[in-house]
Amino acid sequence: MTSISERPVDVAAAGLHDLVKPDEGAVSRTVFVDEAIYRTELDRVFTKTWLFIGHESQLSEPGDYLTNFMGEDPVIATRGADGAIRVMLNSCAHRGMAVCSTDAGTSKFFRCPYHGWTYSNNGDLIGVPRADTVYNGELDKSRLGLKAVPRVETYKGFVFANWDENAIPLVDYLGADQLWYLDLAFEAPLGGLEVIGPTMKFRIKANWKLAAENFAGDDYHVLYTHGSAFQIGFLPDYDMLADYIAHFDHGHGMGDISKPGRAYQNDVGMAQFLGPEAIEYVTAVHERLQARVSPLQAEMHGLGEGNIFPNLSWIKFGVFHVFGLFQWHPKGPGEIEVWQTALFDRGAPQSVKDFARTQMSQENAAAGIFGQDDGENFEQITESARGVVSQTRDFNYAMGLGHEGEVHEEGYPGHLGPHYSEQNHRNFYRYWLELMTTPGEQK
Amino acid sequence: MTSSLTDLRRDVEDFLYREAKMLDEQRYDEWLGLFTEDVRYWMPITETREVRQHRDHVPGEWSLMEEDARFLAKRMERLAGGLAHSEQPRSRTRRFISNVLVTPGPNGDLVVECNFIVFQSRRANSEQFFVGSRRDRIVTSGESWKIAERTVLLDHRVLPRAISIFF
Ligand code: FES
Ligand SMILES: [Fe+2]
Repeated sequence: MTSISERPVDVAAAGLHDLVKPDEGAVSRTVFVDEAIYRTELDRVFTKTWLFIGHESQLSEPGDYLTNFMGEDPVIATRGADGAIRVMLNSCAHRGMAVCSTDAGTSKFFRCPYHGWTYSNNGDLIGVPRADTVYNGELDKSRLGLKAVPRVETYKGFVFANWDENAIPLVDYLGADQLWYLDLAFEAPLGGLEVIGPTMKFRIKANWKLAAENFAGDDYHVLYTHGSAFQIGFLPDYDMLADYIAHFDHGHGMGDISKPGRAYQNDVGMAQFLGPEAIEYVTAVHERLQARVSPLQAEMHGLGEGNIFPNLSWIKFGVFHVFGLFQWHPKGPGEIEVWQTALFDRGAPQSVKDFARTQMSQENAAAGIFGQDDGENFEQITESARGVVSQTRDFNYAMGLGHEGEVHEEGYPGHLGPHYSEQNHRNFYRYWLELMTTPGEQK
Repeated sequence: MTSSLTDLRRDVEDFLYREAKMLDEQRYDEWLGLFTEDVRYWMPITETREVRQHRDHVPGEWSLMEEDARFLAKRMERLAGGLAHSEQPRSRTRRFISNVLVTPGPNGDLVVECNFIVFQSRRANSEQFFVGSRRDRIVTSGESWKIAERTVLLDHRVLPRAISIFF
């Protein structure tokens, strides 16, 4: 017999500190469905954090552009004639029409389809039809450019933007501890990373945080949610793959971290199966790592998956795995638009590229056997969180509570935890709570 | 159009309708038997681009699906295993195939194009339509017809949900 807890259902009656208690391993279901909380998230989370925009290989020439979202705000990223990358709101300063309706392309300017105001690709308003007569020449074009995102920074080819003028630099937001691991993905490719095709997009009727917290280090679910992948031999024994998870400042989390040597051994084993080109490739990548990163990083060799707070997840196992990015774009509290970008080593042999690319489609993508099953969980969790009785039952994030800091691996930075723990979820909600309870300034 | 081509199209339509029925009835082993051992099954990603900046789908870019017979069989094995949560319970599907065009190719091959609408009803209230076109290369030898290549083009830029069914 289930008893109804003391938790008040009415959000107005409950402060966020009462709904979200990371240190007790409890988060109210309300924060996954409530409209007001969602609006606050858009304001206090998505305008205060560094959000992924694209990769430099997508904007290689002056005039190249792509579109993306920051929270629910549509943006355009361009490379200007001066070579600089700018990010601006994709909404006309006149009456809000989108000035760009495509995924990507090349253009020196954007002309609004509504009344024809025209903006250069650096966002300046350069043309207003009949400005001299209809505005009597009094329109101050200099004040009517596309709204620029004030901070745009790049880390090793990955472009991020932030609406908060006073934000700490991107590299500090990502943090040296997290980058110690992520650098393996950026430094290993022989010819640098490149985006290997269009962005894959699909919807999940679920709250965005469920996907983000999952990638932040919910390795526990892999055993059962992805049981079918083990059943058909798509993956070896999961305990053979990794040993730890880790979390970092600013809510970031990472899973499937392996002890030194393990990932390299797994790659060598895989290469035997893939053939001589693959064997050569593993050796070349490993040597390159030895030359470019610390001995311990090189020994670590491969990664797992993670979430860069708030909504950029990634996956990257050994050298035969693409670097896959997942943007969990929020579309209301109950819906995610997933944008998936895949990158791989420009310098890999064709046979390795072919393997990595197809494997990613089969694994963690819209029709991939992992992707499908994850979405099923997130949807039904969100659906159940709408009930008033279910809202009295907090989600349970208690795994490993009281045992944090007990795991140690010499030289591994960040807050390391055992392979199966909810410490990273708690870290995610701790930072989320910090942002959500910090009132923003006027934008 | 010659009457032999009309007859041929009728045979092709019959083949496609039977295939659709196999999928709607989840007779996956039979469905797998319709493909050659070296089948190439390809579902590229649809893009939205400016009128004069349109790009064709590029082989070698990553795709929604890019499979061989071996992995198609793995997918069927997964569905049969009972742990494929996205199809446990199974979705109800209904496939509508139309606008069938047949172009005879060399060596008795047929290039078959068609449009499709697939309705998916999942659990209690997850319902969506997938709309697109297909282009198959069918190899024929006597009574036996096998699909050697299939390209599926979905018209959606943003898919209504993850894909747990087949096209
Ligand atoms: S809304 Fe863009 S020109 Fe009027
Ligand atoms: Fe998963």
